[in-house]
Amino acid sequence: MNFQPPQSGTLLDVQDLCTEFRTDGGTVKAVNKVSFRVDKGERVAIVGESGSGKSAMAMSLLRLLAHPGKVTGGRVMLEDRDLSLLSERQLNTIRGREVGTVFQDPMSSLDPVMRVSKQMVEPIMRNLGISKEKARAQAVRWLDKVGIPEPELRIDAFPFEMSGGMRQRVMIAMALSCHPRLIIADEPTTALDVTIQAQIVAMLKDLTTEAGAAMLFITHDLGLVARFADKVAVMYAGQIVEFGPVGGIFSEPQHPYTQSLLRTIPSPGMLKETRLPQIPGLPPDMRKPMTGCPFRERCAAAQPDCASKMPPLTPRAKGHTAACWVPEGLGESNLKPESRSVPKNATPLDRERHVTVEINNLVKHFTSNSMLFPSKRSVVKAVNGINLRVLKGETLGIVGESGCGKSTVARMLLGLEASTSGEIFTDGLAQMVFQDPSSSFNPKMKIADIIEEPLMVKNWGDRDSRAKRVGELIDQVGLEPTHLTRYPNQLSGGQRQRVAVARALALKPSVVVADEPTSALDVSVRAQIINLLADLKQDLGISFVFISHDLLTVRYIADRIAVMYLGEVVEYGPAEDVFSRPVHPYTRALIDAVPIPDPKLEAGRQSTPLTGELPSPLNIPKGCSFVTRCPMATEICHAEKPVLQKHRKSREAACHHAI
Amino acid sequence: MRSLQPIVAGLRNSKLMANKKARLAVVILLPILFLTAIAPLLPLQAPLETNLRAMMQPPSFEHPFGTDKMGRDILSRTLEGVKVSLFVGFSVAAIALVAGMIFGTLAGFFGGVIDRLIMTVVDIFLAFPSLLLAIGLVAVVGTGLVPVILAISMADVPRFIRLQRSQVLSLRSRAFIDAARTVHASQAWMMRRHIAPNTIAPMLVAGSIAAANAILVEASLSFLGLGIMPPAPSLGNIIRDGQMYLQQAWWISTLPGLVILLIAISLHFLSDGVREALDPRSRG
Repeated sequence: MNFQPPQSGTLLDVQDLCTEFRTDGGTVKAVNKVSFRVDKGERVAIVGESGSGKSAMAMSLLRLLAHPGKVTGGRVMLEDRDLSLLSERQLNTIRGREVGTVFQDPMSSLDPVMRVSKQMVEPIMRNLGISKEKARAQAVRWLDKVGIPEPELRIDAFPFEMSGGMRQRVMIAMALSCHPRLIIADEPTTALDVTIQAQIVAMLKDLTTEAGAAMLFITHDLGLVARFADKVAVMYAGQIVEFGPVGGIFSEPQHPYTQSLLRTIPSPGMLKETRLPQIPGLPPDMRKPMTGCPFRERCAAAQPDCASKMPPLTPRAKGHTAACWVPEGLGESNLKPESRSVPKNATPLDRERHVTVEINNLVKHFTSNSMLFPSKRSVVKAVNGINLRVLKGETLGIVGESGCGKSTVARMLLGLEASTSGEIFTDGLAQMVFQDPSSSFNPKMKIADIIEEPLMVKNWGDRDSRAKRVGELIDQVGLEPTHLTRYPNQLSGGQRQRVAVARALALKPSVVVADEPTSALDVSVRAQIINLLADLKQDLGISFVFISHDLLTVRYIADRIAVMYLGEVVEYGPAEDVFSRPVHPYTRALIDAVPIPDPKLEAGRQSTPLTGELPSPLNIPKGCSFVTRCPMATEICHAEKPVLQKHRKSREAACHHAI
Repeated sequence: MRSLQPIVAGLRNSKLMANKKARLAVVILLPILFLTAIAPLLPLQAPLETNLRAMMQPPSFEHPFGTDKMGRDILSRTLEGVKVSLFVGFSVAAIALVAGMIFGTLAGFFGGVIDRLIMTVVDIFLAFPSLLLAIGLVAVVGTGLVPVILAISMADVPRFIRLQRSQVLSLRSRAFIDAARTVHASQAWMMRRHIAPNTIAPMLVAGSIAAANAILVEASLSFLGLGIMPPAPSLGNIIRDGQMYLQQAWWISTLPGLVILLIAISLHFLSDGVREALDPRSRG
């Protein structure tokens, strides 16, 4: 008898899987004849934008789809059993026991009124047939393995008593605890900060390797794929358009969609004078019947053949397959980075230039008042004395984990929040582009009225001149006059973000604050908005404050970077400098945590993920606020708070051990 | 009549009329409204006219709903009662809607002392059962149409304030309000342009339920002898008159009771219809 599971051979074989959603607006073929294989112990990433059908596909494997989704065809073989023929009851013995699942939002996957222990112990007892005591001991061991401190105590916590990262660790522990042979993880780190994401991805990689489990990893983040996966399936409009080993897909992508997708992401060190290549148009409306290649309307290499028949997946170079009619080599996408025309006299970092924003010793404390227990008053120190300047025509990038106070700074700059102390000077108006394009607009107003609103509030000109200004604005942001009579919900996410930019520009502000302006957008649309902002900065000479957790984008778009940690600026300097030679250990950790969409670079990186989580801003550590997570911390760091000092030529950092 | 045409056309094409429940409500309500409006033209005995030679007559061609112990025509009295009921229902809904919009918006938008002040009063009112509150108020103010309307509104206004306040609170954190604040839009501007258009729909839904409820409360008050005073008819006091003769003359109480039932049900259907038409998620 061999107790070691064989490490080769096919574990999951999916053939022609089809899933439909029947809605009022028509039948959506969310998954359209998808076929692929996962070998034992292999990590396969499914990449795609929202609506590409990647999640629907994953849910279809175990028939976990909610109404109105329905699997309409195909075969799902788990070794020698056809899952599509099993009854609901038989499937239940496979779910959890043989196939574990981890979803994006752990709060909705965990029962909020049940202690973690109960949720973990029962499945282990049932699936492994062991006693309650033994199951509990196992659960504690798994919690320890996924990096939960004090697992014997934490196991009896309720989900709401844990942070998002902790809850996701619990989900992973639950998925692994029954020794499944396959784990399906659907965007498991999307809701988390990069630093926590890096920890979780590293942990998942180690644990699945250790357990010999295969993994199906669904994501939209190409960087994560490069860091994590053995094989990649690229999905577009419900179909797999390219499939193969990760190295080949990244070095020699065959499908024009994959090629374009890889180029739209700013690469480290990309010059600011280069525009990002962008994929034109939008993904197809899935409710309409599809003939031919779904990507053809956005494809530069499209041929007459593409409109009539869907190309099948055919073998290409380096062991991967692609679904494209265009022969190998000819399908090279024509998305080339083009140069932005730079005015001759522009000097990007001219110290003598006009200051648009100056922030001095800015402090914001939120006090929670307890009427019944005045002694229980607590103070959240969101922003703790920061100094920043934005020069005219310059972009300041603010980065940091959620809870570091970057959005609070933005809100104070816009006058949406009063500061506790300190000063903000702005030379002119500050306007904003928000993160979530769906809540940025009054749903009852038409686009024309939305863009006109700031003008009307300020009694700017008469009706005709306002209409003319609105016309100019939509032209500037690349919208059509036909969009003006629509309502926000009739536009796509990218179009809505263009409207938001137009509204922000209406009154010719001197600074535009963009808080995560691209994080709700799909990868293929993201480049369009980033280019728009970069173009506007150059054409109009507006200053930008760009707040984002997407470090690659910030690196590309910002002239200067401020790295924030627990309400303080810990490093400040020219963007390219800060990224290529970080001085503060936190900046270094943050940069290390960001996965780069290039498997070769990823393999060569020796990243030591930052340990632990952001301390609560209710309870900031004494001395250096980063001391609890810093790999270089010594005695002085516990005792004395470092101040922001000059380092090298142009840099400021707050660290006793600045490199 | 010409000015009504676009409204009628609009209604016919609207989402509301595509909704089955709302259509049913209109099919029931319209004939009742029509009959009430043309009641004086119908060949019926006047509501207050007695006829001692035709007491307690069962329904017949001459008296479709029969007559009561004083020989008054029940249908004619019922239609007069419906007029009172509908007047009470819509007045209460209108008062509650307007007061709820104003105070709820103030409380939700400004917060702080204003919010605490308004909500304390609201909480006190909400602590009383609405019918008891109305009875108490009528006992103090006196009976009659206007006191009844005021008494019932008193019980509804706090609920509307709560609803509006919670809507405003969730709107206040939306990014488009922030966007308006960054250009220093006045508070009046934000309430008019952003708050009101985005809160009115659920208030209308609540309003049509409140109207149905007010009709029932008015009938209850009149039934208890605290509402509309006889001989003026109201559905409640007609039912009360017939209650003693339920064995001999079932029609006196039963038929006006049925009319109340129809009106209340159709107003509830209407509110369901409005809600479903406005909320795409609940379309089934």
